[in-house]
Amino acid sequence: MKKTSDILATVRMLQEENLDVRTVTMGINLNDCAGRGMPAVLKAVRAKIKARAGSLVRICDEISIKYGLSIVNKRLAVSPASVLLEGHQHADAVKLAQALDQAAADVKVDLVGGFTALVQKGMTPGEETLINALPEALSSTKRVCASVNVGSTKAGLNVDAVKLVSRRVLDIAAATSRFHGFGCAKLVVFVNIPEDNPFMAGAYMGHGEPDCVINVGVSGPGVVKRAVDRIIAQQPDCTLDTIAEEVKHTAFRVTRTGELIGREAARKLGVSFGVVDVSLAPTPRVGDSVGEIYQSMGVRAIGAPGTTAAVALLNDAVKKGGAFASSSVGGLSGAFIPVMEDHALDKAVADGTLTLEKLEAMTAVCSVGLDMILLPGNTTAETISGLIMDEAVIGIFNNKTTGVRLIPVPGKKTGQRVNFGGLFGSGVVCNVACPRGAEDFVNRGGHIPAPLRGLTN
Amino acid sequence: MRRKNSNFRFVISVLAADRVGILRDISSAVSELNGNIDGLSQTVVEGYFTVTLTASFANRLAEDDIRRKILSRMDPERISVFVVHHDGTVAARTPASGDRYILTLTGRDRKGVVKLVTTYLASRKINIEDWFMDMKGDMASYVGEVAIPESLDIRMVHEELTGLLAPTGLRVSLQHENIFRATGEVGPIASILDVNRKARSL
Repeated sequence: MKKTSDILATVRMLQEENLDVRTVTMGINLNDCAGRGMPAVLKAVRAKIKARAGSLVRICDEISIKYGLSIVNKRLAVSPASVLLEGHQHADAVKLAQALDQAAADVKVDLVGGFTALVQKGMTPGEETLINALPEALSSTKRVCASVNVGSTKAGLNVDAVKLVSRRVLDIAAATSRFHGFGCAKLVVFVNIPEDNPFMAGAYMGHGEPDCVINVGVSGPGVVKRAVDRIIAQQPDCTLDTIAEEVKHTAFRVTRTGELIGREAARKLGVSFGVVDVSLAPTPRVGDSVGEIYQSMGVRAIGAPGTTAAVALLNDAVKKGGAFASSSVGGLSGAFIPVMEDHALDKAVADGTLTLEKLEAMTAVCSVGLDMILLPGNTTAETISGLIMDEAVIGIFNNKTTGVRLIPVPGKKTGQRVNFGGLFGSGVVCNVACPRGAEDFVNRGGHIPAPLRGLTN
Repeated sequence: MRRKNSNFRFVISVLAADRVGILRDISSAVSELNGNIDGLSQTVVEGYFTVTLTASFANRLAEDDIRRKILSRMDPERISVFVVHHDGTVAARTPASGDRYILTLTGRDRKGVVKLVTTYLASRKINIEDWFMDMKGDMASYVGEVAIPESLDIRMVHEELTGLLAPTGLRVSLQHENIFRATGEVGPIASILDVNRKARSL
């Protein structure tokens, strides 16, 4: 028997609190498209994407109408493109990115992830080709997203790869300088990269996945904020465990919604269902912010002492609610803190209460990392490497995923505002408290060995 | 369980001011007539108890025998009892059903809203299977569980309802029941989808 109050609570989540399915992402294995002749590879890639994803958008739209629930993005995540580049040249890598871009446009999806290299322990020629092609690949395409996994708890940190990627980050920024370095927003540098993450820009399809799979990303920071607001209105003196419990229950409902949509989409498309990723992924809209949740919990100035604890509480409660809701929870699942995409976080950075260093501390307990951070245009490759390395070891040594999306903005200085528009939002260029001084350490290169906790067998 | 012989099966409906023990009295009356209740739906609206049940009896009875037996256990001035023979062909004549959707209307209450909506639903051959209403002050929430024929386009139905109710200021939503089951139950999602699939294949 359905209770009227439960029905109305679900309707309220959908109509007033911005609960949506943020993305239905189809993973497609492209390894069978590999070959010696790049024209044949490109043809095979386009054909396979069309065959698998040709009806993705239509079916998602049908499901959206049936459930009265917005499916905001329909996307693709392909197997690591570096596999297709073994034995090929720099120009071939750019052509491959452009072919992916065109294939994504053909099936009407807005982004395709998987221009990816997994180099945590070493680098193959194909992977090096991909990384070096990133500036041209990301500046000449609209829909292609890239990721590079530079470390893992099992493998440690490939510092040589970090150095190479950092130089390419500066090149991407220069290649997209007309758009304030926007190309860098389409590249995530990971450690412990998840193989089934449906969220961009870091989505790719891992080697352990089936030939084709549907992964779903659900969000809903607005739903969680309203839930926190309600419990505090009912119990003004409620303790933090009461708030955690409320967040957990809300995450349960959000996750169940995502799994329902994902399973039905997979069934209609005739492919496997993978995971539902329950992540509080903000958008620049007011009412769709993770920062607002911290404020509702009582952190009035984001960045003040206590903020990291608030992140931990939220991240943990979301995971617990999701884990109870579904046995198919995967991806990143937790709370994101992409500064530019969250108006409350952006304001905190602009106000000076939230610093880059505090953000780094928060990433130790959030589900991703230093995400959508604007840096001064004169930031050096060594500084970028140092930032990536610091963030990477938080993930490696805590056995969790961390990702870095840094955007050095050509010609901009600390405090200047940059607007990317749309879901990518706007923000101010962050101050790096001590940008120089670790160059000698970074430039040694090599490899930071895997931590003891990686030796679990 | 006693076989459901339609010759000895009745539909019984009772309306009374609510008090403790009404269902006990009705079921005792049925039991004393050697009957077995095999279907039941009961609710209380604004202090009034109402129940509709089906019961099968071992022996041939007249409708009035059952009615009088139930009334004998209650204050006849404050109760209404209605008894009819169960027509075994009724279920087969139930309107063709499609997937079940939840229709909600929320906002400031307006006179004639139920008539407006139910007239539209009937015109589209959409069967109402359950209908609830909740009032808080002058704010009303209507929740209808409706079976929408597969031949109808859900988007069109939603747009027509939205247009119909726009002058009333009520907010309309129409969503497949699965989303409410998913958020309100703890069973596996796959089983919710399987139930729908099996129902369609019957």
